[in-house]
Amino acid sequence: MTTVPVPSLDNTGEDPSNRPQLILNHTDFGSVTTDILRANESAKPPKSWYFALAVSFTMMSMLGVMIGYLFFTGVGVWGNNNPVAWGYPIVNFVFWVGIGHAGTLISAILFLFRQKWRTAINRLAEAMTIFAVICAGTFPGIHIGRVWLAYWLFPIPNQMDMWPQFRSPLLWDVFAVGTYFTVSLLFWYLGMVPDLATMRDRATSKTKQMLYGIFSLGWRGSMRHWHRYERAYLLLAALATPLVLSVHSVVSFDFAVSQLPGWHTTIFPPYFVAGAIFSGFAMVMTLAIPARQLWGLKNFITMRHLDNMCKIILFTGSIVGYAYSMEFFIAWYSGEIYESFTFINRAFGPYGWAYWIMVSCNVVTPQIFWFKKARNNIAIIFTASLLVNVGMWFERFVIVVTSLAYDFLPSSWGMYEPTWVDVLTFFGSFGLFMTFFLLFIRYLPILAIAELKAIMPIADPHGHGHSYNEMSTETSEQAKIAEEDE
Amino acid sequence: MSSLNEPNKNGRTWWRSLDEVVAKDEFRTKVQDEFPEGASELLATGEDRRHFLKIMGASMALAGLGVGGCRRWPKENIVPYAHRPENTMPGIPEQYASCFDFGGVSQGVLVTSNDGRPTKIEGNPEHPDSRGKTDAFTQAAVLDLYDPDRSRKVTYDGTDSSLTAFKEWVGAYLPKNGKGIAVVSEPTSSPTFERMQRAFMKKNPQAMWVEYAPLANTNEREGLMSAFGGNWIPVHNFAEATVIVSLDQDFLGSGPMQVPNTRGWAQGRKVHNGKMSRVWIAEPGLSVTGAKADERSPMNPAAVTSIATYIAKEIAKVDIAIDGTVSLTAEQQIWADKLVSDLNHAGKHGLVLAGPSQPASVHYLVARINEELGALGTTISYRSLNNVGGVNATIEEFSKAMEEGSVQGVIVIGGNPAFDAPADLNMAASIKALPLSIHLSHNEDETSKVCKWHLNAAHWLESWSDGLAADGTICVGQPLIQPLFDGLTSPELLAILAGETVTDGQTLVRTTLFSASTDIWNPNWRAAVHDGVVANSSMLDKPPVNKRVPKGGTVVGGVGYTVCFIPSGTIWDGRHANNGWLQELPDSITKLTWDNAALISPKTAEDLGVKQGDMLKISVGSKHASIAVLPIPGTADDVIMLPLGYGRAFAGRVCTGAGVDVYPLRTSTAKWAAPAKVSATGNTYPLATTQMHFDVNSTPGKGTQERLPLLFREGSLATYNANPAFAKHVGHVSHSLSIFEEEQFVGAKYKWGMTFDLSTCTGCNACVAACHAENNIPIVGKDQVLMGREMHWIRIDRYFAFGSDGHGGYDGNDLTAVAIQPMTCSHCENAPCEEVCPVAATVHDSDGLNVMVYNRCIGTRYCSNNCPFKVRRFNYFDYFRRDPLRSTGLLQVQPDYYIKTQSGGKTLRAMQFNPEVTVRMRGVMEKCTYCTQRIQRVKIATKNAWVKKTEAQKQADQRVAILDGAIITACEQACPAGAIVFGDLMDTNSRVSKLHNEKRSYEMLEELNIKSRTKYLARLTNPIDSAVATEGESH
Repeated sequence: MTTVPVPSLDNTGEDPSNRPQLILNHTDFGSVTTDILRANESAKPPKSWYFALAVSFTMMSMLGVMIGYLFFTGVGVWGNNNPVAWGYPIVNFVFWVGIGHAGTLISAILFLFRQKWRTAINRLAEAMTIFAVICAGTFPGIHIGRVWLAYWLFPIPNQMDMWPQFRSPLLWDVFAVGTYFTVSLLFWYLGMVPDLATMRDRATSKTKQMLYGIFSLGWRGSMRHWHRYERAYLLLAALATPLVLSVHSVVSFDFAVSQLPGWHTTIFPPYFVAGAIFSGFAMVMTLAIPARQLWGLKNFITMRHLDNMCKIILFTGSIVGYAYSMEFFIAWYSGEIYESFTFINRAFGPYGWAYWIMVSCNVVTPQIFWFKKARNNIAIIFTASLLVNVGMWFERFVIVVTSLAYDFLPSSWGMYEPTWVDVLTFFGSFGLFMTFFLLFIRYLPILAIAELKAIMPIADPHGHGHSYNEMSTETSEQAKIAEEDE
Repeated sequence: MSSLNEPNKNGRTWWRSLDEVVAKDEFRTKVQDEFPEGASELLATGEDRRHFLKIMGASMALAGLGVGGCRRWPKENIVPYAHRPENTMPGIPEQYASCFDFGGVSQGVLVTSNDGRPTKIEGNPEHPDSRGKTDAFTQAAVLDLYDPDRSRKVTYDGTDSSLTAFKEWVGAYLPKNGKGIAVVSEPTSSPTFERMQRAFMKKNPQAMWVEYAPLANTNEREGLMSAFGGNWIPVHNFAEATVIVSLDQDFLGSGPMQVPNTRGWAQGRKVHNGKMSRVWIAEPGLSVTGAKADERSPMNPAAVTSIATYIAKEIAKVDIAIDGTVSLTAEQQIWADKLVSDLNHAGKHGLVLAGPSQPASVHYLVARINEELGALGTTISYRSLNNVGGVNATIEEFSKAMEEGSVQGVIVIGGNPAFDAPADLNMAASIKALPLSIHLSHNEDETSKVCKWHLNAAHWLESWSDGLAADGTICVGQPLIQPLFDGLTSPELLAILAGETVTDGQTLVRTTLFSASTDIWNPNWRAAVHDGVVANSSMLDKPPVNKRVPKGGTVVGGVGYTVCFIPSGTIWDGRHANNGWLQELPDSITKLTWDNAALISPKTAEDLGVKQGDMLKISVGSKHASIAVLPIPGTADDVIMLPLGYGRAFAGRVCTGAGVDVYPLRTSTAKWAAPAKVSATGNTYPLATTQMHFDVNSTPGKGTQERLPLLFREGSLATYNANPAFAKHVGHVSHSLSIFEEEQFVGAKYKWGMTFDLSTCTGCNACVAACHAENNIPIVGKDQVLMGREMHWIRIDRYFAFGSDGHGGYDGNDLTAVAIQPMTCSHCENAPCEEVCPVAATVHDSDGLNVMVYNRCIGTRYCSNNCPFKVRRFNYFDYFRRDPLRSTGLLQVQPDYYIKTQSGGKTLRAMQFNPEVTVRMRGVMEKCTYCTQRIQRVKIATKNAWVKKTEAQKQADQRVAILDGAIITACEQACPAGAIVFGDLMDTNSRVSKLHNEKRSYEMLEELNIKSRTKYLARLTNPIDSAVATEGESH
């Protein structure tokens, strides 16, 4: 990994007279396609891919075994107890759901804001969202005491004449996460259709041609198709945008609607949403940096992209830091002894170690991104992204466990300790995530080919391509010809 | 019909059916295995149907109940009676009076029987001590009947034998005239036992008879012998006492007199004319009485004796020199002076008591003090004991005789001397060396292992018995079920040994209490059996006045470390070690379960460099024990309290591995306190307490102290007199308007509510045990309690309040108060749990009950999170599951709870279940229901009766009012102090309405706007120098 930006790859400059390229060293559409699909079209994937898949598949199987053990024996195999009836599984649930939000923000909100740089990462990020939501969805499903009755959470007409109880935030979760998954999946799939068609057209085996053919839904690349595609894309982006804010707000209601000190605060929805975006971007970084290195995508996921993502991480991290301090302030200002105790206990009580990990990872670490040198240093970015995710997991741990462990009556206070089943289940969920992700890299277009092409200078229908300076050697004439060929 | 031999595909064994009764031989063999002798005899002789069904119904009835209320029920056949026995309706429970002996005092009970199986024990309102109330031991006794580790047969030298063989052996081998024979029995007040004892001694005049129990109050006996000559026991009347002085006597703690003592004391805690009783206590360890006392001074046993001698000098003008007494500190002297003046002030309403650890001369002094105060006849009376005719030796003499060889055979009737006899007597080894030994007991315990003959005892629930209450009232005990395993009772054994012709329990009792000619139809006999007591048979007496001053005696304490032996609050002297309910019951003060620990003061812990869980090596003489430490504030410094009865060697499923045996440290010369050497071993041991203990100046410790005055409200009598509503003004509550139309209780006919009186609740755990028995609550085992998963629906919270340390923190050695607060589901009108359940498994009914619908619950546990009282309990495992999925291997799931409750004891355990309460499966939440099954039973009966009324009566009572006191919850029914009151708040004359309106009532966590239906009555204390607390302490 480079630690210092190579001049030919450095497009992080802010000189408006010299606008940076978003795609480096590519002057025609064909090479874009070839380079991006190298991961899919190579005869054999690199050895590292096999190795990684073996590891994640093992971890995923471990998850399956742990879940089986849990189903047969009971929730007691975890460390949950009284008063801490929610432990690792709910922390993991919020963790994974939070991560997913970055993908939707990149796909939907940045699209509406016309941030062209999103195109290099949106496919990858959206895939991350889908897989993260799958991981998230398993946890509430398996953590209930009588798993075989999980379907009672859904408003399915039944012989008992019973609807679920709609005032419960857990039920809002069902709708929120369900909607989120559905919309994200649709959005991701729709966006992929032109790229799947590309893969269909370049397929080398009959199977591939057939499968990609089915999933590309008969895409011809005609103007009509493009027109409908763009309309649908815009609609879905608009639909997905509120989800970025609402889903994690609803998840935060799991806590905010209860009356536990430390949970029952109105700051939770914006705080959680900011935290979700924060951790999501960090996860995107964690995935994008190895991906661009191993599959030669440095010209697409450029330093500028990383730079922009660092700025978002800095911004949302600061919001999270502000939220922490505001919670403390209000706890003190309220004069309410239960609330102020909860926060002092979080910082200085038996779980203080978790609290300080959280603060150092979430508040202190992203501040490094004020410095351009740090934003352009791959090693620093990667480390920071890992630390941020560790910190965000600990944030949910601190919120869930300390508020439950030390609530109103001291007689019911009790510590929570995860069991080996808890820990293996959590690591197993990473296995599930990575398995899906590795399969995605190999079998689906890792970047949004069509969208990337659309932001290239030569794609500009008004021929402004030549103003995107010295790196482009083509004249506008040639650009138009190239366009007609496509 | 499913086969008996093959388990069905779910791995559960199906119960037998009556179809197969007459048919198959293999069925009879199966029955033989389960119930040796009894059942097959019945089948063979064609005994009448009632007896037959009592046995068979017991085993067949509920085998499937352990499956859990929410799975598909296995297919069953219901077989109706062809001719129903009179006065019984299947499914309607019946109650029968009975009694049992505890520490020589007969405890009166009413036992609820469901289809011929005793399932629940209540107090007997006719019994002078019980008056309808019980203690934790009594509540848990029903589980002992169904103990899977009960011995089921007679064995000789380890091989199976029979009662017939035993009788033959007795005829052949028992020496004539009892030469060389010793009998060891437990203290008992049973007239039948005494009669048989006399018969035995008549036939065996040369026999030695020893009466021994590890916790027998021999010092008191000796002291009173000096005072009055003869054997006397005191009977206290706490209700009459305005000043009670306890010299290390835990009269409110576990013991045979806990129920009447608590009841009497609680009456004295009611404020009359601005006055209330006052309790003084000087003790080494923090006991229940110490926690509730108004004036407490912790001190080592020698100092307690010094206080006793000081009071005796001042009041009774008697001076006795006792070795080992220490001089009092200045503070203790001031305290003692105030005590003396208070006692003098009380006059005949004063009462002084001394505990078993105090030497005989102190008991003598106490008798003299009470006499001088004029208390005889008011607060104290005496009863003469006449059952010791026959007892002619002490256990020490018996041991010496064994060593000398003059004893060749011993008959141990009940008790467990091999485990609990003083260690220097080497009882186990000596008995083992004897050629003849017989032990009658409930389990094959430590003594049975060293005896040749083991005879299985009949449990008191399956036998005829009698006894005397504290005041001498005669009590009669009848069996509730045929003996499950054909056991013997002690009088029956003695009858056999004495060669009596009549050896049947019922006849023996009837003959003793009435006469040999009284038959079963005699109306006096039937009245006695029905009531459980013989009316007007109290035997209180005035003792002769005798002032023979005894010799001094010795005490221990004040030099180096002193160990004090105390009974376990939950398993007494170890006899209940195999009772899972009692092992899991958190000790009243320490909240420790499944173990004992060395209880020391925080300062002593600091001096030794140990904290909770660290192990200490304690040496008394040449014997050592290693035991974990549990620092308890309020313990005297340099004193180590050691609860007895743990570390049993007998391999019971429940008791194995529970605690450390400290009997080896207990010698015959130092039975209650001994000097010891103590050092830390460096090892640790996990102690399963149900409440976490924090250092008082840690963040959680400080947090606790800060909120304690809000949660547990107490004030002195002076504060109360000045401002009766003081408890309502602690903390600031804003009363908000509701934004909803509150319509949920419109049209409700009843409004259930409850109060807990914090003044009188002693934390005795009777309610916890009662709830456990009534509601089919599982025990979970030590490893689960360590994780915090105990399932008690009612719990007793215990907090310590400390004084300030002068630097803004608290002083962990300055215990200012002990808060004891029972906690159940409060059935909040605005229940936070109901809001958050996604499947509407917890809902509110119009009467105000928060109803938990087990079969709808999917176990998200959000309700538990949102409950501010954390009274909801989740079934993390199938705690009643009978067959684990795997029994060995890496993924083994066999935590304590399974081993301790289930393996091998399948149908037996299920017999105790209350059929009116669902047994919950895993994944389901449960909590206190205000005993909804009892509410429904009375509601239905009242409605049925109402329907038959005249129109005018119906008009006058449109609501179908239920009489106050008709519905009584299990906890309310058990509480000896009467601290729990349940009833209808809509009835303005009900006790609960009046208590809710009392000025000292308050609601817990009122500021959360949950509107709980349970209110608490603030605790009133009566310290000698009480000042009026200033109002508005925290806002």
